[in-house]
Amino acid sequence: MMPGEVRQTLRRRLPPASTAIVTAYLLTAAGVWLGWWGSDWAAIAGPGRVGPSVEHWLGTNLVGQDIFTRLLAGTARAFEIGLVVAIPSTVLGAVIGGLAGYFPNRWPDGVLMWLTGTLDAIPFYLFVIALSYALQDQPGAMQLAMIATFWTLTARLIRAETMRLRQLDFVTAARVSGVGTWRMIGRHILPHTTHILLVQSSIVFVAAIKAEVVLSFLGLGLQHSVSWGMMIAEASQEILAGHYMNFICASLALLILVLAVNHLTDRLQRRLDPRTRAETVKRMG
Amino acid sequence: MSHGRFGRLLLRSTLGILPLLLGVTLISFSLTVHFGPDQTWEMLGRNPTPEQVASVRQQLGYDRPFVVRYADYLVRLGRFDLGYSQASGEPVLALLGRTLPVSVALLAPGFVLGIGLALALALGASWRPGGFIGRLCSATSAVGMSLSLVIVVIALQALFAVWLDWFPVRGWAVDGPASYLRHVAIPTLALIAAQLGYSLRFFHAVVQATLNDAPVRTARALGLPRRRILTRYVLRAALLPILTRIVFAMPLVLISGSLIIESHFGVPGLGRVTWEAINSGDQPVLMAVVSLSAVLFVLALGFADLLGRLVDPRIRPT
Amino acid sequence: MSCARLPGPVVLVFLLLTGCQQQASPEPLKVYRHALDGVPSSLDPAHADDIYAATLVGNLYDTLYRYKYLARPHELTPNLAADFPQVSDDGLTYRIRLREDARFADDPAFPGGHGRAVTAEDVVYSLKRHFLAETRSRGDWLWRGRIVGLDPDTRLDTPDQPVAGLAAEDRSTVRIRLGAPYPQFAHTLAMALSAIVPREAVEHYGREFGVHPVGSGPFRLVHFDESRAVLEPNPHFRRGPIDLDAEGYDAELHHGYALEGVDGKAYPLLDRLEIHFIPEPTGRWTSFISGSGVDFVMVPPELSERVLVGREPPMFSREMRQRYHSRHAVEAGFAFYGFNMANPAIGHNPDPRRAQRNRALRCAMRDAFDWDSRNRSFHHGLGHIFPGAIPPLLPDFDARLSGDSTAHRPERARQRLADADWSPDRLPELVYGMEASVHQRQMFEQFRSWMDAIGYPAGKLSARTFASFGEYARAIGNRRLDIFLLGWTLAYPDAQYSLQLFYGPNAAPGANSFNYANEDFDRLFELAATLPPGPERTRLYRQLNEMVIDDCVLIGSISRTRLYLWKRHVRMLPDTEMGNGEFLRFVDVIEGSAE
Repeated sequence: MMPGEVRQTLRRRLPPASTAIVTAYLLTAAGVWLGWWGSDWAAIAGPGRVGPSVEHWLGTNLVGQDIFTRLLAGTARAFEIGLVVAIPSTVLGAVIGGLAGYFPNRWPDGVLMWLTGTLDAIPFYLFVIALSYALQDQPGAMQLAMIATFWTLTARLIRAETMRLRQLDFVTAARVSGVGTWRMIGRHILPHTTHILLVQSSIVFVAAIKAEVVLSFLGLGLQHSVSWGMMIAEASQEILAGHYMNFICASLALLILVLAVNHLTDRLQRRLDPRTRAETVKRMG
Repeated sequence: MSHGRFGRLLLRSTLGILPLLLGVTLISFSLTVHFGPDQTWEMLGRNPTPEQVASVRQQLGYDRPFVVRYADYLVRLGRFDLGYSQASGEPVLALLGRTLPVSVALLAPGFVLGIGLALALALGASWRPGGFIGRLCSATSAVGMSLSLVIVVIALQALFAVWLDWFPVRGWAVDGPASYLRHVAIPTLALIAAQLGYSLRFFHAVVQATLNDAPVRTARALGLPRRRILTRYVLRAALLPILTRIVFAMPLVLISGSLIIESHFGVPGLGRVTWEAINSGDQPVLMAVVSLSAVLFVLALGFADLLGRLVDPRIRPT
Repeated sequence: MSCARLPGPVVLVFLLLTGCQQQASPEPLKVYRHALDGVPSSLDPAHADDIYAATLVGNLYDTLYRYKYLARPHELTPNLAADFPQVSDDGLTYRIRLREDARFADDPAFPGGHGRAVTAEDVVYSLKRHFLAETRSRGDWLWRGRIVGLDPDTRLDTPDQPVAGLAAEDRSTVRIRLGAPYPQFAHTLAMALSAIVPREAVEHYGREFGVHPVGSGPFRLVHFDESRAVLEPNPHFRRGPIDLDAEGYDAELHHGYALEGVDGKAYPLLDRLEIHFIPEPTGRWTSFISGSGVDFVMVPPELSERVLVGREPPMFSREMRQRYHSRHAVEAGFAFYGFNMANPAIGHNPDPRRAQRNRALRCAMRDAFDWDSRNRSFHHGLGHIFPGAIPPLLPDFDARLSGDSTAHRPERARQRLADADWSPDRLPELVYGMEASVHQRQMFEQFRSWMDAIGYPAGKLSARTFASFGEYARAIGNRRLDIFLLGWTLAYPDAQYSLQLFYGPNAAPGANSFNYANEDFDRLFELAATLPPGPERTRLYRQLNEMVIDDCVLIGSISRTRLYLWKRHVRMLPDTEMGNGEFLRFVDVIEGSAE
């Protein structure tokens, strides 16, 4: 689908609840970025392990930091990770997939598919850990590793779609009239894959946030900040002592955001993918 | 398909695997060996001298150039000589032989049940399109995909540790079918909860897509009984993508999924050993696991490719 | 035992064919399930320098000496040795006679598979082995430069190479000559690192020796993986009977643990010993609480609220005391924060004025540290805070030493900074190192907030995380970190073991992570280390301790109180701190009362 068609489809009514939730989270994150709230998540604001109270809406954690403030900061981190990973990896996947699909079974395709297969075969967590070691202390090692692994599925899908598109008349016509390779891919083929790219980027967004939770749990997450993953990791031992607040808050925050984004993605995909439009199926009923 | 063509296909698949294996081992080797953690300090005593530090480093092979080490690794891999674990001295082959069955025994029930459940639900949804089961599928997959394995694992442990006492929450003291079932119950639940969403979504989409295919539409127009449509048309058309998906998921679940579950449940399987090796920089073990993962993945790739070419008459060999 | 697992008809056939009838009415097995909070990686005694490996090695192998089961403070008693060493008057020659009845366990490494008697040659070999490069020994530093012929730069190429000070006089006597008096020498012969290994097994198994232990200890290994080890009694081990009085039994202290029942019996008493490796606190506790898990638990500090009703001193709740046996003991070790004295920005400096200012800075940071708060948040109030580096477990501990250095005095810290001309913009940038874990990060944030409160800008204190302890140790060894948290466990009850942390020649990569270089300290330390235990030595030890406190080399320290619970049907007094799990050989299980 072309971007224009995508816009048209999007203008039709999107599920209200999910959209509202995602918007609310985005506004929260924006507030943290602008410094309105959530900036002093590291401050020892009170005695440790206090329950919900007027001063600390969700209580404090083991060390005495306010859970609510940390939750807000975690929202911003989640969006940062999600966007920082989703956008570059989608772009990378689009370029590589487009190039590979435009020259199917020739050497660029071979090399790029070899690269895709290689990266897929390395276990994800091994790769992230190894890359973190390789980059030593630099912030962004985790994000870089995620980008380096999450582009492969997008590339495969774009490649398949490109292979299909390049056989269509309008592409043949453009080729005959002498349009160069890069212009072909960039201006004639990729715009028709917008629906795939949009859906894939939201899938990667969710995958990045979830992967961060696991990495924080294993001790490899963000170094100089707080995230939901770190809150869950610290809570995993506190639960034993009967302090559930940290765990429940961070888990719910994560669950609700991911659920909303997944729901939106699902609806989007069904509307944008010509092959699984809901109407077709219903008419069979 | 003629024997000759099949043979050529097999040969091409095999040859296609080699660059992939080479690529995987090269990248993994550079990351783990060249940039990876230095195991020297794990092996030193409490009061080492600089000479001792240098001696241990030299013994662990850190002084040799990268190319030499990589070539040595490839040669030994070809001979199936996987070396010895630096930390315990156990031969890596024996280590894999010991831990791989445990991982499989731990993850197989959850994997199989999860796939089975997802398949049953997806097919049930196609029985009456747009009906209750279809909506259940969508809802379940949406929630399932939003669950994080880590959260599920912690929650299940809290549930069974803090309140109930039905199953052991860790360990693998298995010496019979009864204790096996008890130990595998919670990991199975955790794995199903984490995987169901994705599998269900995929199978549901595939089945829905086949409902739109010409054969199925024709069958429905002809008024054939629903059960027959399901088994002869829908299932057959959906079989290939489903099988491909299952085959690809296996190495993924085995290597990555086992890491989290085993380290949290204290099961002495492949994932736990890999995690220990990652932390201490035990290169022989790490490289063996990576090679194993590469081989499994490449086998899956090759198998799926072969399957596709065999089953689908529309793909013409180029 | 395996008959019971096979299904019905097969069992019958088996019984008939293989004569399993004698097992038709089996005796109940005496099984004890122990829990350790860590995993040993190798069971080679040359690598056994942590408590987990030591616990296993101590029960699979023999050391020349061991600690008495019950006497506290810990006292040595002969183990493989027949009696205490004969020491010459100048304290330089030790003659140790071995017992006649020690035998290695059966193993394919021996000709014919039969274990043979332990000889003095084995003792000599086991010690020499630490100086072969391929052993990668972690214990050679205990004897290097101490035994004549094993100088700091000696390298043995083969175990047959003669060493002047280490020889077997005859089949059961070992003669060792030291270069200087070494009062702690006998203690080093009780450490798991010194355990006696058979040469045949080392050569037979080569690199796999770490997973194929062959020893003369009370148990032999049946199964070993990352989650547990299973041990069974070594049939060739015949010692005893247990003499409780000789082991330090005191009717008042040890009342209520039902220990009297093991007096006079041969040991080991168990039929099967399972040691489970459970690093996760959750897992340990739930395994203990459930009916079929481990029989012993070191209560995770997070759960102390559930089992204690008081903390000073720790008092178990009535429910706990009724259901289980309970005990608390302070750990044999301590944790502290160290400064890197090799960094001229904060440590030693050739300019005396700057050195003074650096000292003021260190002391200010020490004053700003709030040990009580740290104790409450991370140790659940179970930490025992004390000044310096001589922990409360040791007899040289000075209870009357002023707690001034561990008090939280932020105003005094500010005063020190002001007096020494340290304004926030002139303060040095320091690197704080830590392992990558949630707790460590929280500790860092707590630390930084205290420094911030006295005017040390948070921006000047940067954190570096390390994914594993090995990486962290490497950074400390390479002197890259300025502030670091370390723990030090005592291998024997002598303050020399902890004071050596400040001894100049031990500088990084050695144990002196502080890189403390004080000639007066070194001189006094060398003097004290050669004295036998007594008031003179205690005085010197305390003087050394005060030097270190005075120079603000460390922010320290804290020793944690361990809480133990074990099930009522187990007769034992556990000690997971000092020694090599010697108590495990004396554990008895009262039959019929296991759940």
